Amino acid sequence: MFKTVKSKILIIAIIMLTVLMFAFGCYTVYSRMKTKQLMVQNYGFSMNEYTERLDDEIIYAENNLNGLALIGNVFYRTDRSIELTNRIITRIFEDYPKNLGGGIWFLPYKIDKSKKYVCFYAYRNKDNKIIIDEKFSSEEYDYPNQEWYKSIISQITPERNIVWTRPYYENLGSYSTMVTAGTGIYVDGELIGIATVDWKIDPVIEELSKIKPMEKTFSMYKRGNEIKNSFALFANEDEDYIIATNDPYLDGEKLIGHSLKEIPWYTSFDKLYSTTYIKYHGQKYVPFARRINNGMILIICIPQKEMFKYVNEFYLLMIIVMLLLGLIIPTLLYLSMNRYIINPIDKLTEIANKISKGEDIQIKLEKPEEFAQLASTYDKMTNHIKAITKEKAKMSSELSIANIIQSSSLPSVFPPYPEKKEFDIFASMEPAKEVGGDFYDFYFVDENKLMFLVADVSGKGIPAALFMMTVKTLISYISQMEHAPKKLIETINRKVCENNRNSFFVTMLSGIIDITTGEMSIINCGHNLPLIKRKDGNYEYLKLKSNIALGVFEDADFEIYETVMKPGDIIFTYTDGITEATKEDDEEFGAERLLNTLNSIEETEIITIAQKMKNSIKEYTQSAPQSDDITMLIFKYNGISEIKTFKQAAIQENYKMFYSWLYDACKEWNLEQDLTYKLDMCAEEIFANIVFYAYPEKNGNIEAKLEKTYNSIIFKFEDDGIEYNPLEKPDPDVTAPPEEREIGGLGIFMIKKMADKISYKRENHKNILTLTFKI
Amino acid sequence: MDIMLKEVGIDGLYVTASGRLDLDNAVVYGAKIKDFIEDSPEQITNVTLDFSEITFISSFGLKVILELYKQLNGQKGVLKLKNVSEQLKNSFVIVGFDKFLLFE
Repeated sequence: MFKTVKSKILIIAIIMLTVLMFAFGCYTVYSRMKTKQLMVQNYGFSMNEYTERLDDEIIYAENNLNGLALIGNVFYRTDRSIELTNRIITRIFEDYPKNLGGGIWFLPYKIDKSKKYVCFYAYRNKDNKIIIDEKFSSEEYDYPNQEWYKSIISQITPERNIVWTRPYYENLGSYSTMVTAGTGIYVDGELIGIATVDWKIDPVIEELSKIKPMEKTFSMYKRGNEIKNSFALFANEDEDYIIATNDPYLDGEKLIGHSLKEIPWYTSFDKLYSTTYIKYHGQKYVPFARRINNGMILIICIPQKEMFKYVNEFYLLMIIVMLLLGLIIPTLLYLSMNRYIINPIDKLTEIANKISKGEDIQIKLEKPEEFAQLASTYDKMTNHIKAITKEKAKMSSELSIANIIQSSSLPSVFPPYPEKKEFDIFASMEPAKEVGGDFYDFYFVDENKLMFLVADVSGKGIPAALFMMTVKTLISYISQMEHAPKKLIETINRKVCENNRNSFFVTMLSGIIDITTGEMSIINCGHNLPLIKRKDGNYEYLKLKSNIALGVFEDADFEIYETVMKPGDIIFTYTDGITEATKEDDEEFGAERLLNTLNSIEETEIITIAQKMKNSIKEYTQSAPQSDDITMLIFKYNGISEIKTFKQAAIQENYKMFYSWLYDACKEWNLEQDLTYKLDMCAEEIFANIVFYAYPEKNGNIEAKLEKTYNSIIFKFEDDGIEYNPLEKPDPDVTAPPEEREIGGLGIFMIKKMADKISYKRENHKNILTLTFKI
Repeated sequence: MDIMLKEVGIDGLYVTASGRLDLDNAVVYGAKIKDFIEDSPEQITNVTLDFSEITFISSFGLKVILELYKQLNGQKGVLKLKNVSEQLKNSFVIVGFDKFLLFE
């Protein structure tokens, strides 16, 4: 699936992109985290700033308070002028424009034994005008019994001089949530009263909720600089009361002054200070906790979602862009690769295919440049191939000519000596390549001596074939001059050595047989052992001593094996192309299989033996290509045959003479009486046939030949009368009742029954009928 | 070829011959028997051929014997062959004559 260049490049691109995207993704995650940290820090800075401002306000309030306390002290110590004191208070309020209200409250009966309530209280009305309110020094208000008063009085000591009350809702003038800071007025170490300053909480809370990051830190936050849904808690942790909260899930007004335990998300200041987020009503909030100078704590919870809204949006955008790039880049890569690489390759492939089919095409490819170069290289290559192909075709035709020359140099007409009945010889060579290194040959070296040989030149192809031709010529030339086998083979070896410049060598098996006596000399020069079959016996390997191959040592000594061939004996010689014929699994045909195959062939006709042998090899090797030349030469010795001839005019008067001739021959050859009778019978029928039918219009002769071979009698009749093939005549019905019997046709029928083989041919205007009888 | 014909009883003929019943002799052999039967004053219906001296019989001889058989068979006569050697009998067997000829 991923075998093409296209897919491989695509995969590499995808892997690279994945790695890049992963790296970028990691960076994004890291940078997002860092950005968030920076944001949290930035909010922290805003918080610090705000906290400082609160601190300033508190210090401001406390300074104001100290001023009031000093006025109280002065009032006590001086002439106690109410009017003057009111004026001074007014002036102080003018000096502290942020103060909403405050006053001086003396302990009951401290100023005057008759006056329980002495106090001064001023506040800023809606028009920012300072009003001195005198209604608090009344029985009705009874300030010493007010919670805030009691709270302050009970807490102040000379050491801890400023006390903040719990927040309370003031319903007399300002109608708002207040916290009062109070301090004692001491005269000579004695507490004579307290001074208070009111601090309205509502604006603080309101402002706290609008917390925003410092400007210009991240330009992208400018767009929406207010954070929605954040809320604040203002409390005193030490005293465990809530000063104010605008928690959207709680009723802030009711909770004022209550324990911090009533805030579900509140754990402790320290914990919240170090917590990155809290979960509250299914939302994440980032808490910012700060302490204020007077021991109060301030906690602002900002929804994480809101806080990081822009960060998250920014990174989401970034991821989308990256994914799009991840899709677009491989697509572009794929398309451009297709266009600039794959398409030219496909085109080149297509053209190469056409060229390989023999089409004559000029390759035209102008871009991209690399492929244009490749195309021109292709072109050069094609031209080169064309040239080579031409050369090859020429060589191949030369090779086939060489093959023809080589084949024609081996005797190929069988039987080679039809008139020689003493022996049969058949040979064949099937070259593995077009020209082979195997050869065989046979010829008469003198009147009665036939020499035959099979040989295998080392190496294959043209050089081996050329050498083979040389050797073949040498052997046939020398064997005409030298007949003594030992001397002959030594001369051949020497000459082969002389002519051998390329270190070839030749294995050869040769036999020289006297066809009149059957005496045979066999020479084995490093060749495969021949097989011999004696008449009525089985094939056996002839255990010859192997001599050295021809062409190795000039002075090599050769041992000759002598045997006598009896009529009917067969010798089978071959080259290693048979024994080393292999199937696809490399198993060789082998010597034993050769022996068994030969013994399974019942026929004694040597052409049939050769044919069956070839079939067996073919059957064995099946489709495997032939690896070596397959050569075999079969020689069968028949012995001397004797022939008697009779030739007379074809007239009935000569019949007596004819059968006495036959009887004399049978007697001379000691033929069995039964065979003699059969010959007599057939002879008479054919003689009569010729006499009565061959020459209706003229006189003619009858010629009979009786031949005795080692295993048969061949009876041959010739006449030059009218063409007549007696074998075509239908057989008479020998089962018919006598009344229906025809008189004619019985003779031929009887011959057919008696002879072992019968054949007819018309040749040179002669009828030739041949009968064979086995002995 | 020597052929001896001898009358046996009222209607019988016994033929003895020696030599080859071949191209040369068969016709003579057949003709002599035929003539004898025709010339005889009596009706000859039973013929016995003694083959003890016959050394050879070819298709010519077989033809003669077939003709003789047909002739006698037409007259409700009987043809017998006597002392036929195995070798000669084989010739009769080949052509299927053993199916109707009587061998003694």
